[in-house]
Amino acid sequence: MKNSVLTLVVLIVLTIGIAIISKTTGVYVVAGILVLSALKFFGISFFFMDLRKAHPFWKISVCIYLFVFISVLLILK
Amino acid sequence: MSKMQIDYKNIYYPPGGILLWIIIYVELITFGIALIAMVYYGKQDPQLFHDAKLQLNVTFGTINTVFLLTSGFFMANTVHELKEKNKSKAKKYLLITMLFGILFLILKTIEYDSKLDAGLVMSTNLFFTFYWMLTLFHVIHVIVGLIILTSVFFGMIKENSTMQMEDVEASAAFWHMCDLIWVLLFPILYLIF
Repeated sequence: MKNSVLTLVVLIVLTIGIAIISKTTGVYVVAGILVLSALKFFGISFFFMDLRKAHPFWKISVCIYLFVFISVLLILK
Repeated sequence: MSKMQIDYKNIYYPPGGILLWIIIYVELITFGIALIAMVYYGKQDPQLFHDAKLQLNVTFGTINTVFLLTSGFFMANTVHELKEKNKSKAKKYLLITMLFGILFLILKTIEYDSKLDAGLVMSTNLFFTFYWMLTLFHVIHVIVGLIILTSVFFGMIKENSTMQMEDVEASAAFWHMCDLIWVLLFPILYLIF
Protein backbone atom coordinates (compact mmCIF):
# COMPACT_ATOMS: atom_id res chain seq x y z
CA MET A 1 0.00 0.00 0.00
CA LYS A 2 2.79 2.41 0.98
CA ASN A 3 4.62 1.69 -2.29
CA SER A 4 1.43 2.21 -4.31
CA VAL A 5 0.77 5.58 -2.63
CA LEU A 6 4.32 6.70 -3.39
CA THR A 7 3.95 5.51 -7.01
CA LEU A 8 0.66 7.40 -7.40
CA VAL A 9 2.15 10.61 -5.97
CA VAL A 10 5.16 10.36 -8.30
CA LEU A 11 2.91 9.68 -11.30
CA ILE A 12 0.68 12.68 -10.53
CA VAL A 13 3.71 14.93 -9.98
CA LEU A 14 5.12 13.74 -13.32
CA THR A 15 1.77 14.45 -15.03
CA ILE A 16 1.68 18.00 -13.65
CA GLY A 17 5.38 18.40 -14.52
CA ILE A 18 4.70 17.37 -18.10
CA ALA A 19 1.81 19.86 -18.37
CA ILE A 20 4.08 22.65 -17.04
CA ILE A 21 7.02 21.75 -19.31
CA SER A 22 4.68 21.81 -22.32
CA LYS A 23 3.98 25.50 -21.65
CA THR A 24 7.68 26.37 -21.98
CA THR A 25 9.69 26.74 -25.16
CA GLY A 26 13.03 25.23 -25.96
CA VAL A 27 14.90 22.64 -27.96
CA TYR A 28 14.46 19.86 -25.42
CA VAL A 29 10.79 20.37 -24.49
CA VAL A 30 9.50 17.50 -26.66
CA ALA A 31 12.29 15.20 -25.47
CA GLY A 32 11.52 16.14 -21.84
CA ILE A 33 7.80 15.44 -22.28
CA LEU A 34 8.45 12.06 -23.91
CA VAL A 35 11.04 10.96 -21.35
CA LEU A 36 8.77 11.91 -18.42
CA SER A 37 5.90 10.04 -20.12
CA ALA A 38 8.18 7.01 -20.44
CA LEU A 39 8.86 7.23 -16.69
CA LYS A 40 5.10 7.20 -16.06
CA PHE A 41 4.80 4.16 -18.29
CA PHE A 42 7.49 2.41 -16.21
CA GLY A 43 5.75 3.41 -12.97
CA ILE A 44 2.44 1.90 -14.06
CA SER A 45 3.86 -1.29 -15.54
CA PHE A 46 6.45 -2.06 -12.86
CA PHE A 47 4.55 -0.98 -9.73
CA PHE A 48 0.80 -1.09 -10.46
CA MET A 49 1.04 -4.12 -12.78
CA ASP A 50 3.69 -5.80 -10.60
CA LEU A 51 5.98 -6.36 -13.55
CA ARG A 52 8.94 -5.99 -11.19
CA LYS A 53 8.09 -9.48 -9.90
CA ALA A 54 7.95 -10.97 -13.41
CA HIS A 55 10.55 -12.86 -15.43
CA PRO A 56 13.28 -10.55 -16.89
CA PHE A 57 11.93 -11.26 -20.40
CA TRP A 58 8.80 -9.19 -19.66
CA LYS A 59 10.74 -6.37 -18.04
CA ILE A 60 13.24 -6.17 -20.88
CA SER A 61 10.52 -6.32 -23.54
CA VAL A 62 8.74 -3.31 -21.96
CA CYS A 63 12.07 -1.43 -21.92
CA ILE A 64 12.75 -2.32 -25.58
CA TYR A 65 9.23 -1.24 -26.62
CA LEU A 66 9.61 2.14 -24.90
CA PHE A 67 13.14 2.68 -26.20
CA VAL A 68 12.09 2.01 -29.80
CA PHE A 69 8.89 4.07 -29.51
CA ILE A 70 10.52 7.13 -27.92
CA SER A 71 13.57 6.94 -30.22
CA VAL A 72 11.45 6.82 -33.38
CA LEU A 73 9.35 9.76 -32.15
CA LEU A 74 12.42 11.82 -31.30
CA ILE A 75 14.02 11.08 -34.68
CA LEU A 76 10.81 12.05 -36.50
CA LYS A 77 10.16 15.15 -34.41
CA MET B 1 -12.58 -17.37 -4.50
CA SER B 2 -9.99 -20.02 -5.10
CA LYS B 3 -6.31 -19.20 -5.21
CA MET B 4 -3.50 -21.01 -6.95
CA GLN B 5 0.16 -20.43 -6.18
CA ILE B 6 1.62 -18.59 -9.18
CA ASP B 7 5.34 -18.31 -9.80
CA TYR B 8 5.65 -14.91 -11.49
CA LYS B 9 9.35 -15.53 -12.15
CA ASN B 10 8.30 -18.20 -14.65
CA ILE B 11 8.43 -16.70 -18.14
CA TYR B 12 4.99 -18.17 -18.96
CA TYR B 13 3.23 -16.57 -15.98
CA PRO B 14 3.64 -12.78 -15.96
CA PRO B 15 1.24 -11.00 -13.57
CA GLY B 16 -2.13 -11.07 -15.38
CA GLY B 17 -1.26 -14.09 -17.52
CA ILE B 18 0.66 -14.59 -20.76
CA LEU B 19 -2.42 -14.26 -23.01
CA LEU B 20 -3.29 -10.88 -21.55
CA TRP B 21 0.31 -9.72 -22.00
CA ILE B 22 0.22 -10.77 -25.65
CA ILE B 23 -2.94 -8.66 -26.02
CA ILE B 24 -1.23 -5.77 -24.20
CA TYR B 25 1.73 -5.87 -26.59
CA VAL B 26 -0.54 -6.07 -29.66
CA GLU B 27 -2.45 -3.02 -28.38
CA LEU B 28 0.68 -1.09 -27.49
CA ILE B 29 2.22 -1.79 -30.90
CA THR B 30 -1.02 -0.83 -32.69
CA PHE B 31 -1.36 2.46 -30.81
CA GLY B 32 2.40 3.02 -31.07
CA ILE B 33 2.38 2.72 -34.88
CA ALA B 34 -0.64 5.06 -35.11
CA LEU B 35 1.09 7.64 -32.90
CA ILE B 36 4.31 7.39 -34.91
CA ALA B 37 2.23 7.91 -38.09
CA MET B 38 0.61 10.95 -36.47
CA VAL B 39 3.99 12.48 -35.61
CA TYR B 40 5.23 11.71 -39.14
CA TYR B 41 2.26 13.54 -40.72
CA GLY B 42 2.62 16.31 -38.15
CA LYS B 43 6.13 16.88 -39.44
CA GLN B 44 4.75 17.29 -43.01
CA ASP B 45 2.33 20.04 -41.93
CA PRO B 46 3.49 21.42 -38.55
CA GLN B 47 1.36 24.59 -38.68
CA LEU B 48 -1.90 22.68 -39.18
CA PHE B 49 -1.08 20.27 -36.34
CA HIS B 50 -0.02 23.12 -34.05
CA ASP B 51 -3.19 25.15 -34.70
CA ALA B 52 -5.37 22.07 -34.26
CA LYS B 53 -3.62 21.10 -31.01
CA LEU B 54 -4.37 24.54 -29.59
CA GLN B 55 -8.08 23.70 -29.86
CA LEU B 56 -7.69 20.82 -27.39
CA ASN B 57 -8.20 21.38 -23.68
CA VAL B 58 -4.94 20.42 -21.89
CA THR B 59 -6.61 20.84 -18.47
CA PHE B 60 -9.22 18.21 -19.38
CA GLY B 61 -6.46 15.91 -20.62
CA THR B 62 -4.42 16.38 -17.43
CA ILE B 63 -7.43 15.80 -15.15
CA ASN B 64 -8.34 12.68 -17.14
CA THR B 65 -4.77 11.42 -16.71
CA VAL B 66 -5.08 11.89 -12.94
CA PHE B 67 -8.44 10.06 -12.98
CA LEU B 68 -6.95 7.05 -14.79
CA LEU B 69 -3.82 6.98 -12.62
CA THR B 70 -5.92 7.10 -9.43
CA SER B 71 -8.15 4.38 -10.83
CA GLY B 72 -5.05 2.26 -11.56
CA PHE B 73 -3.83 2.85 -8.00
CA PHE B 74 -7.08 1.50 -6.54
CA MET B 75 -7.03 -1.43 -8.98
CA ALA B 76 -3.54 -2.39 -7.80
CA ASN B 77 -4.77 -2.20 -4.19
CA THR B 78 -7.84 -4.30 -5.03
CA VAL B 79 -5.55 -7.12 -6.19
CA HIS B 80 -3.29 -6.64 -3.15
CA GLU B 81 -6.22 -6.82 -0.69
CA LEU B 82 -7.64 -9.89 -2.40
CA LYS B 83 -4.28 -11.64 -2.05
CA GLU B 84 -4.39 -10.73 1.64
CA LYS B 85 -7.90 -12.31 1.73
CA ASN B 86 -9.42 -8.96 2.70
CA LYS B 87 -12.48 -9.22 0.49
CA SER B 88 -14.51 -6.33 1.92
CA LYS B 89 -11.68 -3.82 1.38
CA ALA B 90 -11.06 -5.24 -2.09
CA LYS B 91 -14.73 -4.70 -3.00
CA LYS B 92 -14.57 -1.08 -1.84
CA TYR B 93 -11.37 -0.43 -3.80
CA LEU B 94 -12.82 -2.05 -6.90
CA LEU B 95 -15.86 0.24 -6.71
CA ILE B 96 -13.58 3.28 -6.40
CA THR B 97 -11.58 2.00 -9.39
CA MET B 98 -14.76 1.86 -11.45
CA LEU B 99 -15.88 5.27 -10.18
CA PHE B 100 -12.70 6.93 -11.48
CA GLY B 101 -13.12 5.06 -14.77
CA ILE B 102 -16.64 6.49 -15.06
CA LEU B 103 -15.36 9.99 -14.19
CA PHE B 104 -12.85 9.62 -17.03
CA LEU B 105 -15.68 8.76 -19.43
CA ILE B 106 -17.84 11.67 -18.21
CA LEU B 107 -15.04 14.19 -18.73
CA LYS B 108 -14.23 12.67 -22.12
CA THR B 109 -17.91 13.01 -23.10
CA ILE B 110 -17.88 16.70 -22.08
CA GLU B 111 -14.71 17.18 -24.14
CA TYR B 112 -16.22 15.38 -27.15
CA ASP B 113 -19.38 17.49 -26.83
CA SER B 114 -17.38 20.73 -26.92
CA LYS B 115 -15.46 19.51 -29.96
CA LEU B 116 -18.67 18.59 -31.79
CA ASP B 117 -20.22 21.97 -30.89
CA ALA B 118 -17.16 23.68 -32.35
CA GLY B 119 -17.55 21.61 -35.52
CA LEU B 120 -14.28 19.76 -34.94
CA VAL B 121 -15.14 16.37 -36.37
CA MET B 122 -13.11 13.54 -37.85
CA SER B 123 -13.14 15.07 -41.32
CA THR B 124 -12.05 18.55 -40.15
CA ASN B 125 -8.37 17.86 -40.78
CA LEU B 126 -5.76 15.13 -40.41
CA PHE B 127 -5.01 16.05 -36.79
CA PHE B 128 -8.65 15.57 -35.79
CA THR B 129 -8.86 12.33 -37.78
CA PHE B 130 -6.06 10.98 -35.56
CA TYR B 131 -7.58 12.60 -32.45
CA TRP B 132 -11.00 11.00 -32.91
CA MET B 133 -9.71 7.63 -34.07
CA LEU B 134 -7.18 7.22 -31.26
CA THR B 135 -9.25 8.61 -28.40
CA LEU B 136 -12.42 6.76 -29.44
CA PHE B 137 -10.47 3.51 -29.77
CA HIS B 138 -9.10 4.14 -26.27
CA VAL B 139 -12.56 4.99 -24.89
CA ILE B 140 -13.85 1.66 -26.25
CA HIS B 141 -11.12 -0.07 -24.24
CA VAL B 142 -12.12 1.83 -21.10
CA ILE B 143 -15.77 0.81 -21.60
CA VAL B 144 -14.77 -2.85 -22.13
CA GLY B 145 -12.54 -2.59 -19.04
CA LEU B 146 -15.45 -1.27 -16.98
CA ILE B 147 -17.66 -4.16 -18.16
CA ILE B 148 -14.92 -6.65 -17.16
CA LEU B 149 -14.51 -4.98 -13.74
CA THR B 150 -18.28 -5.07 -13.21
CA SER B 151 -18.27 -8.83 -13.83
CA VAL B 152 -15.32 -9.17 -11.40
CA PHE B 153 -17.28 -7.21 -8.80
CA PHE B 154 -20.31 -9.48 -9.14
CA GLY B 155 -17.96 -12.48 -8.94
CA MET B 156 -16.63 -11.08 -5.67
CA ILE B 157 -20.01 -10.56 -4.03
CA LYS B 158 -21.30 -13.99 -5.09
CA GLU B 159 -21.00 -16.62 -2.35
CA ASN B 160 -20.03 -19.67 -4.41
CA SER B 161 -18.10 -17.91 -7.11
CA THR B 162 -15.82 -19.91 -9.39
CA MET B 163 -13.73 -16.81 -10.03
CA GLN B 164 -10.01 -17.28 -9.43
CA MET B 165 -7.25 -14.91 -8.46
CA GLU B 166 -5.79 -15.13 -11.99
CA ASP B 167 -9.10 -13.84 -13.39
CA VAL B 168 -8.90 -10.76 -11.18
CA GLU B 169 -5.24 -10.24 -12.08
CA ALA B 170 -6.00 -10.54 -15.79
CA SER B 171 -8.85 -8.01 -15.44
CA ALA B 172 -6.52 -5.68 -13.52
CA ALA B 173 -3.86 -6.03 -16.23
CA PHE B 174 -6.45 -5.09 -18.88
CA TRP B 175 -7.47 -2.04 -16.83
CA HIS B 176 -3.85 -0.96 -16.38
CA MET B 177 -3.37 -1.34 -20.13
CA CYS B 178 -5.89 1.51 -20.58
CA ASP B 179 -3.61 3.64 -18.35
CA LEU B 180 -0.54 2.67 -20.37
CA ILE B 181 -2.20 3.60 -23.67
CA TRP B 182 -3.46 6.93 -22.27
CA VAL B 183 0.02 7.76 -20.91
CA LEU B 184 1.28 7.54 -24.52
CA LEU B 185 -1.74 9.26 -26.13
CA PHE B 186 -1.93 12.27 -23.82
CA PRO B 187 1.48 13.90 -24.48
CA ILE B 188 1.38 13.30 -28.22
CA LEU B 189 -2.18 14.45 -28.86
CA TYR B 190 -2.31 17.31 -26.38
CA LEU B 191 1.23 18.57 -25.93
CA ILE B 192 4.01 17.99 -28.42
CA PHE B 193 2.75 19.68 -31.62
